[in-house]
Amino acid sequence: MSNQKNMDYDVMVVGAGTAGMEASLSLGDMGFKVLLVEKNPSIGGRTILLSKVFPTLDCASCISTPKMASSAHHPNITLMTYSEVDAVTKNADGSFHVRMHKKPTYVDQTTCTGCGQCESVCTVPIPDEYNYNMIARRAAHIPFPQAVPKKAVISRGGQAPCMHTCPAGVKPSGFVSLVRAGKYEEGFKLHLADAPLVGSLSRACYAPCEGECTRDEMEGSVNIRAIKRFMVDWYYDRHPEPDYGPVETQLDSKVAIIGSGPGGLTAAFHLAKQGHQVTVFEAEPHAGGMLRHGMPAYRMPNALLDRDIKNITALGVEIKTNAKVESIAALKQQGYDAVFVGVGNQNPRIIPITGNDLTDVTDCMDFLKETNVGEQLPDIAGKDFVVLGGGNVALDVARAAVRMGTKSVSIVCLEEQDKMPAHEFEVREAIEEGVKLHTGVSTKRIYNDDAGKSKLEVLKVDAINFDEKGRMTGFSTAEGTEQSIDADVVVMAVGLSPSTLPFESELHLNGNKTILTDKKTLQTSDPMVFAGGDAVLGPSIIVEAMGQGRKAAFYIDRMLKGEDLDVPFESDLPMADKEAIVGCSGSCSCIPPTAIREHDPIKRIQSFEPYEETMTESEARDSANRCLGCGECSQCQECVNVCPGDCIDFNMRTDHLEMTVGSVIVSTGYEILDPAGKELMGYGTYPNVISGPQMDRLLAPTRPYNGVLRPSDGKEPENIAIVLCNGSRDHTVCNPLCCRIGCMYSAKHAQLVMGALPLADVTIYYIDLRAFGKGYDEFYEQSKGMGVQYTKGKVARIDELEDGNLKVHYEDMEGEGGLREAEHDLVVLTVGFLPNLESLKLYKGGEVETDAHAYIREPDAIAQPGRTNIDGLFAAGTVIGARDIPDTVLHACASSAQAAGYITKLRNA
Amino acid sequence: MATGRRIGVFICHCGGNISDYVEVAKVAEAVASEPGVVVSKNHMFTCSDAAQQEMIDDIRELKLDGLVIASCSPKLHMFTFRGMAERGGINQYQYVHVNLREQCSWAHTNDKIGATEKGIALVRAGIAKAALSTPLTALRVDTIPKVLVIGAGVSGLRAALACSDMGLSVFLVEKQKQAGGAVKNWGKMAPDNQRGSDIVQKLLDEVNARENIMLYTDAEMVQKSGYIGDFKVTLRVGESDSVELNVGAMIVATGYDNYQPAAGEFGYGLDGVVTLPEFRDFADQQEGELTYNGKPVKNMAFIYCVGSRQKKSKACPEPNEYCSRYCCNAGTHMAVTLEGRPGELNQYHLYRDIRTYGHNELIYEDARRKGAVFMRYPDAEPPVVSNGSDGLGVLVKDQLMGGELVEIPVDLVVLVTGMVPKKNETLMNTLKLPVSKDGFLNELHIKLRPVETVIDGVFIAGSAQSPKTMAESVGSALAAVSKSGGLLMKGYVDLEPLVAKVDTDKCIWCDECLKACPYGAIERTGGDGKEVALVVKSLCKGEGGCVPVCPRDAIEIEGYTDRQITAMIDACSREVVKA
Repeated sequence: MSNQKNMDYDVMVVGAGTAGMEASLSLGDMGFKVLLVEKNPSIGGRTILLSKVFPTLDCASCISTPKMASSAHHPNITLMTYSEVDAVTKNADGSFHVRMHKKPTYVDQTTCTGCGQCESVCTVPIPDEYNYNMIARRAAHIPFPQAVPKKAVISRGGQAPCMHTCPAGVKPSGFVSLVRAGKYEEGFKLHLADAPLVGSLSRACYAPCEGECTRDEMEGSVNIRAIKRFMVDWYYDRHPEPDYGPVETQLDSKVAIIGSGPGGLTAAFHLAKQGHQVTVFEAEPHAGGMLRHGMPAYRMPNALLDRDIKNITALGVEIKTNAKVESIAALKQQGYDAVFVGVGNQNPRIIPITGNDLTDVTDCMDFLKETNVGEQLPDIAGKDFVVLGGGNVALDVARAAVRMGTKSVSIVCLEEQDKMPAHEFEVREAIEEGVKLHTGVSTKRIYNDDAGKSKLEVLKVDAINFDEKGRMTGFSTAEGTEQSIDADVVVMAVGLSPSTLPFESELHLNGNKTILTDKKTLQTSDPMVFAGGDAVLGPSIIVEAMGQGRKAAFYIDRMLKGEDLDVPFESDLPMADKEAIVGCSGSCSCIPPTAIREHDPIKRIQSFEPYEETMTESEARDSANRCLGCGECSQCQECVNVCPGDCIDFNMRTDHLEMTVGSVIVSTGYEILDPAGKELMGYGTYPNVISGPQMDRLLAPTRPYNGVLRPSDGKEPENIAIVLCNGSRDHTVCNPLCCRIGCMYSAKHAQLVMGALPLADVTIYYIDLRAFGKGYDEFYEQSKGMGVQYTKGKVARIDELEDGNLKVHYEDMEGEGGLREAEHDLVVLTVGFLPNLESLKLYKGGEVETDAHAYIREPDAIAQPGRTNIDGLFAAGTVIGARDIPDTVLHACASSAQAAGYITKLRNA
Repeated sequence: MATGRRIGVFICHCGGNISDYVEVAKVAEAVASEPGVVVSKNHMFTCSDAAQQEMIDDIRELKLDGLVIASCSPKLHMFTFRGMAERGGINQYQYVHVNLREQCSWAHTNDKIGATEKGIALVRAGIAKAALSTPLTALRVDTIPKVLVIGAGVSGLRAALACSDMGLSVFLVEKQKQAGGAVKNWGKMAPDNQRGSDIVQKLLDEVNARENIMLYTDAEMVQKSGYIGDFKVTLRVGESDSVELNVGAMIVATGYDNYQPAAGEFGYGLDGVVTLPEFRDFADQQEGELTYNGKPVKNMAFIYCVGSRQKKSKACPEPNEYCSRYCCNAGTHMAVTLEGRPGELNQYHLYRDIRTYGHNELIYEDARRKGAVFMRYPDAEPPVVSNGSDGLGVLVKDQLMGGELVEIPVDLVVLVTGMVPKKNETLMNTLKLPVSKDGFLNELHIKLRPVETVIDGVFIAGSAQSPKTMAESVGSALAAVSKSGGLLMKGYVDLEPLVAKVDTDKCIWCDECLKACPYGAIERTGGDGKEVALVVKSLCKGEGGCVPVCPRDAIEIEGYTDRQITAMIDACSREVVKA
């Protein structure tokens, strides 16, 4: 989605912190057209995050907000926030060509009023970078109260793997985060909006989402299906009937759905939501398709399915049972404008076995239907029961049979146990329930033994042949390996084929009798007819069928409305990077998945009662809490539901731009040194060792805890140590430079702490106290006068004591000398600057020269401040080296004068 | 009392700066029923963009015609809110700023109840003023695209070139007979070893080559009149010539003086004790081994913080309390330079804190690596320089050796002296620029407006504002150029309409106002039989000195009319319901 625009500016300023704003305002005042680009959602840089500023103790907001507001409102400045410059190259005429992109905010920035309602309902917490990760912010967020522009942005790092995987389009990340937030009803409704058979899925879904769950790569997947089960039980308990009716706007168009399985019901639901008149035709006496007929009640209780179906009928969908459709033409004649064929895959395959008249041989569908909806259970008590086949259906048959008082139940299949098509857990549970496996064998014949007992004779399989797609094409058996199995009843579960025969003359079918459809739209050879589910896919799982129903409904709706079908069904972000998520989840505690309580096998086989228990509320919320929040925004839709301006737009995508500018000012600022690299200081290990920027946040008016508290126990510290030069003037981290601000901002911290906590003692450990600017030494003297203890000495190590206090080991240089120890209850590590390496990557027309420490180099530092080795590309502020706010402002102004000179020359050329 | 006005009142928490001491909600509630008030609210940060937008919405929806914002000092945000008022659609002069922070919360941190009561009174006064406000129009005057740069040191020279680059003509004035300032004879300088003399020569050549730069040496400004965008100045050039110029802006880059130690201060006056500038005068000119008075120097000491970071004492009644910033860099850089010269030289650097900030730390490291010895002396026990029988010696308490007293025999002692404010009486009397506590020229705001001054159109640059290194001085010079460009490049400037206004019916021309006006903004006018005072609006600063002296009450200031001030006093003095 490339959107090319041509814009022209005299200057592009990259980075809208203190330097960038200052440079832009200076140039704007001179009458130059300025484009100010900022990668974050708000301008203001790091200054706006500070508490107060030295030496005047002005509030950081007071000195930043006027510049921020002026930058936003200046007639000559165009602001592009949440945007990044990809490449700058120089044109022959001295101007610059710029490629850049605007990142999607997922909130319409023109209509968002910054009301913050999305933030207050958002269910996804993310470490708040604006508070240096001391607290959480929300995925939908306004960066901070003074943000400019004050607009919401939704953090999205890709689609959560669970959601990405679900064929039905369910948003597991969404309802899991809603359950975590205690919003069960909202969670249910989120699920309902995509897939109406919520209860059925909570019992019978094979949950491919859990297999993709990122946490599965750690201690085990989040129990997504079990959480859903809790959620749906909670909701159905309180809502035995749906709380909605047909949609208001009803259309004239009539749609017939053939088959009331998961595909058909889902299609009906989505079409009815669009206002179409939907009728579902079901050949059997009961709606539900395979959910009803194929699944034994211990997995899929009928009452739950009935409640699920109400979700669809509440919309006005009519389900006609005992209504087998034999011809599509007939439906058209009845006035239907579109048809969805979802007849499923219920024709059992029968294999010929010698002697099949000697015992009771039946097919799996007949057996399961009789079991699930028959007036009586099949009469198999006391019998030896054999199922042929190794798929999930065979397992359902076998496990149903053990619940009906059989003498024995055996599964006979060609594959060895580890190759059986059935899910591994089904096989395991079946064995627990007493089912015997006869794997890797083929049936030879049925015979009566001398005592008149029916037996199934089987042979060992010695080879199975597969085609290139992995489908079995044949097998061979080893003679002489016969064995016999008692077999009063034999049920064949060796495959099902599509129930598409009635439509053979009306629709194009594939060789395997599935319906031929357009892959994208699911339209059949008859443009009015769409198809989905097992009738198209062959044997599939419930969510796949539901996904097809939903997709077909989307295109049927478009067709009925006369809209183009050549549009993508869903276009979401690529899947979030699991490796990266695991990488940064290293510090999260190890919590294994909640164990699902199940009845023991002896009790299980007594009845068809579901043997799996629903989680308790606290189990469900704890389980939901294990979600790693892959992709940040969970798509729980809470923001969408609450936004008064309908501003949320998840379809927003990156906007690419190209333009020509006369000159470029790079003011991308600096990085903050991570003190975790100084392992002996305990940052990141001891909770009460915090960094200087974190201390600033504790003191800021928009502070996270509304007070200066130490992190481990929330106690007000009484004896604070501030340790200077962590990673500055320090060859052990390859940074010999002085950070230039640490001495001063720690003096500021000390003074502010003394204001906030009048009883607290503050000790500053320093090497040289560098208070060199206008009014700085006076400020330092003022700190001393207020009672701050200045100790000249390098701190070597910090240890944690039992109560969370810290022992500081230092060399006392000023007093009597020697190694000393001191106890403090909070330690602040004053950290310095690192260069922002991103700033070096912008220019692609050559190399921007740097000094030995990767700051941009000014070739003539004395006479040409702001000039780089690239004529016309200037540097402003901390990109050339650490400096404080006044020096940054001066340097940025100087760069703007340089740029003004350059553009003037360019114009006059 | 019906005023017919629709006034909005907004009280700022200032993120706790105000609300920690003044109960802002109570203030908003208390003034809600004042005459004319239709809305009274409070905001966490009224200056934030979001709050501004909300106020704009209120202005439009409630059709406000007057605005009172009670927040910080008008120095910080008056212009912010004026702009906001205009964007909302009301005249910016119908906005009244109440300073609830500097004049209330910060002043009464120990009395929350009293602070809240005072806050209510102040806001009431603001409302009374807003109720009588009238729309005013700014005075737009054309600007002259020429800049006067005062001082032709490196900062001034560089500023002149940058102005010229931007198409602005420059008059460059230097008091000395030779341009180049303090460093014109210097050798290698921090950070990149460029020679001071080379830098100056290069800049001078370039300045001389520019058609739109006129350099006057042996010259100084003796008179100044006019106003921002259109100043008229008179220069004395040479013995007796004078030149009249018309410029739109001025950049003051007059530099600094070196601290001159008193006799006996760190041994100053003894043979072999020199200041760093004095040292440079001979050392920078030498090649080869360092010599003093023809003799090779084998051992020398540098004593830092001479004339800087002083404490008040009997011996030093007027201390320089500030750090002079450049000296540690200069001293350590000199150490490296000396280590690069031939000869056996032992250097001892006696310091309090080495303040080689930022990248300059590398110079300090280099100096130590190359062999210079650094010893830290206690603030209260400075080294003693004396001339004993064995010659010159320095006695220092070395803190890093556990406070051991060390006696260093030396051939030379260099006192690393700081910068002090330039003595420049003529200029200061002409410009009337205020100075900071440390005596250097005062900027408008150290962070927000570091090169602007209280005199609109007059900018300060380089070490005239505070001690700076060469690179920093040039940076601030270019910053001043940038602000001059912002002022002059659009061709006009809008002046405050808050100026004096004469009621010609009442005026009898007694010339009292003329005598009271320090800006020469009053002229005599009238032909039709009656002479009255006339205010030259572009010269008037709205200072108001003329108002109380008028015997007929015929003159008042727009935006501060007698009626407004009286109403404010009345509102202020009404009894406040106990908070």
